[in-house]
Amino acid sequence: MVGADRNVLRQLTTHVWFNQGRLGMEEVAVKVEGLAITYGTFVAVENLSFTVNNGEIYGLLGPNGAGKTSTIKVLVGVLTPHAGSVKIYDTPISNEVAAKSQVGYVPEEVILIDSLTPREFFEFISSIRRLEASVTNPRLERFVSAFELKQYFDTPIAALSMGNKQKVAIVAALLHDPKLLILDEPLVGLDARSSKILKELITFHAKKGGAVIFSTHIMEVAEKLCTKVAIINKGKIVGEGTVDDLRRLVKDAEGSLEDIFLKVTEQEAGMQDVIKALEEE
Amino acid sequence: MKLREIWKLSSIVYKEISFQSIFSLRVGSSLPQRGRTDIKRLVANARTSTLISKLVTTFFIAIFGFTVFLPMTGFMTSSTPSATRDVASWPTLMGSVTAFLAVVLFLIVFMGLQVSTGFVSSKMSDVLGAFPLTKQDISSILFVSFLRMFDIPLIAAAVVFLSAYFLVGGSLLGGLILLMATVITEIFAVALTIGSAKFFYSRVAGGGGRSRGQTLVRLLFMIVWILPTFGAYLVVSFAGNIVQYLTSLTQSFSSILQFIVLIYPFSYSFLASYLTFPTAPDYTVLGSSIAASIAYVFVALFCYRWVTQTVRTIGGGGAIPRAKGIVKDTQIKPQIPWLGIIRKDLRVASRVPSFASLFLLPAMQTIILSISFSSLSSLTLIVTLSALIGISMITLLLPPTLLSMEGLASAFTRSLPMRKRTLISAKTLLSIVTYLISLVVLFFVAVYLKRDFTLILTYGLVHALAVSAGIMLELTLLARKFWKEGFAVGNIYSKLTTYILTLIPGFVMVALPIVTAFVAFLYAENLVLPIFFTMAASEFAVMTAIVAIQK
Repeated sequence: MVGADRNVLRQLTTHVWFNQGRLGMEEVAVKVEGLAITYGTFVAVENLSFTVNNGEIYGLLGPNGAGKTSTIKVLVGVLTPHAGSVKIYDTPISNEVAAKSQVGYVPEEVILIDSLTPREFFEFISSIRRLEASVTNPRLERFVSAFELKQYFDTPIAALSMGNKQKVAIVAALLHDPKLLILDEPLVGLDARSSKILKELITFHAKKGGAVIFSTHIMEVAEKLCTKVAIINKGKIVGEGTVDDLRRLVKDAEGSLEDIFLKVTEQEAGMQDVIKALEEE
Repeated sequence: MKLREIWKLSSIVYKEISFQSIFSLRVGSSLPQRGRTDIKRLVANARTSTLISKLVTTFFIAIFGFTVFLPMTGFMTSSTPSATRDVASWPTLMGSVTAFLAVVLFLIVFMGLQVSTGFVSSKMSDVLGAFPLTKQDISSILFVSFLRMFDIPLIAAAVVFLSAYFLVGGSLLGGLILLMATVITEIFAVALTIGSAKFFYSRVAGGGGRSRGQTLVRLLFMIVWILPTFGAYLVVSFAGNIVQYLTSLTQSFSSILQFIVLIYPFSYSFLASYLTFPTAPDYTVLGSSIAASIAYVFVALFCYRWVTQTVRTIGGGGAIPRAKGIVKDTQIKPQIPWLGIIRKDLRVASRVPSFASLFLLPAMQTIILSISFSSLSSLTLIVTLSALIGISMITLLLPPTLLSMEGLASAFTRSLPMRKRTLISAKTLLSIVTYLISLVVLFFVAVYLKRDFTLILTYGLVHALAVSAGIMLELTLLARKFWKEGFAVGNIYSKLTTYILTLIPGFVMVALPIVTAFVAFLYAENLVLPIFFTMAASEFAVMTAIVAIQK
């Protein structure tokens, strides 16, 4: 990454809340206790509990349908849980407006208001979040420049590529300078440059005292980026801690996060047979 | 590819488009439940909703089909000699046929505009493109899928029209001409829908822009876009008058009939009338009408080919331009939340046809009332209150649709710190403005017609309080429901029971002061206004208090 880009990132992550010294690194950003999510008779998440502190990049990992996105949707107030308690900076999620004000969210499937242009979409978002034009515009300009969105600023979102839509969603999530970032598969569709910028942004955000909850299927990214990971399988946490903690858990001192993941989620058994069968075909 | 295979594949595509458009899946909603039974129920709901939409259009076509032939029944029972009867009745039949074909054109275009959003956003062409199918196959599948959205109204138009025609004594040859005219009209209607959709998405939806000029252009396009809706409404409301007008037009312009018959749909209506009631032929007129009818067959064939080719572009979302614009700056102007919501709603409405047309409903109602006013010598209290109840009920159709707009991208926007009361206030304001505009128009009409406007102004403004209360009640009920379930159901019409159960309390609220005023009018005329005001103001106060406590 070139020096100019790093400067932009530093400017973007010079948070108002950090400068004001409101956050301590030990402060609990997210506290989830006994979370249960059901869809009719289908239990997506069962008795899930975890805590994310400031300065942490918390990776939520798990196979497809494990309950990661459902959990994230509860954290951002899109979904109502069946049971359990969720607190964002000590504010119960039931206190929707106060809790949501502190969160920046990038959903898994980026579907925005297609008939609006990014400019109109950001205007809508900033109106709802009661942002000041004088503060928001310089910040927006830097994000738009970092993610190379300027040329698409007045093009309807419907006409943008998936990657550019993803960039719009990322900028919308960062616009209000949130203390907590919740990113559900944020790297999907991004080009190499934007992907690198986002990863750096996440790291800076945590270093400056913010918190990040990050869901991904790319184990290498999680291993490199996350300070702590939780592996969810069938709606339950089956492993939590740093990568070293997890290595100890599966008794594999050399194993990569991918190896650990496959072991913990019991997907390793029989996998070699499947690969062999496919090769023979 | 065989027609049978195209039909089979189009069935899957059609069901998917219906499902997506009903639940606004592509525009950002997420389904609340995930159990197999729930999904099955939602799919069934989508099918029912699409069917209801088709049946409503069919109902209008059927009613109109028989209404236009009513003037003909007089000739059937007439005891006048057949030659004299034929001379007298052919212009009436020509008027009826013209009116019917025009209505079919309008109604199908209207319905088409409503479904085109789903068709464009589904991007089914992209999905089909991944399969081993030729471009021609994809075009045919999409064309048939698009036609299936209108299958019942299209068939009904032909059946109803021919049945009504034969009931009033139509001939076999005339029937064949009418069948051909109906098919050609339907091809024109589908072509017009596809053409409008392509035009709309490429010029209007595609042209973001923020200058005043661009906004004005978008507004103008929006008006042009919803003209068919307005036309359909007017035509249906004034069916009798239109037939009468077209009949007199045919009679009064007999000297230029040879030119009129060159214009669609007069070419077919003249030919069908002539074949039903053969009179001494004017060979020039007859020749012109035959030549024009043949020419329109070729135009229809051309339209058919154009539609099959274009439908693929639209089905793939290709109508939306991907060109980059020159962007001078990235400045934004945040507003206070409720104003931000209103601005977003207006922007969305100016680009999504199904939302845009709803804003025009109260305006249409006002114009209809204005036309009715012209025939009244004085605007009495009863006339005023009846007019107000009509406008207010039409206005109450708007809030549920406005709220369903929140289904767009709800998977994302639900994460925003938006208060229920902010949302309800914004949508109430937007809805009541449409009511007040209707009121202002009625006031100017009353002034123009030199009628006493004090009643319409006084009672209209007081009633605005009750209408606001009705709107707030509807929005509170829906907001609570959607907050609880999530805005999964982007399209309110997919849950008809919810829609109807929300409308009823709203209707009751706006009707209550008016009913009370009627009762007061019978017993103590001087107390009508105070009672009316007290009722409306009380409703407003109660609903404002309820909205204020919404978190």
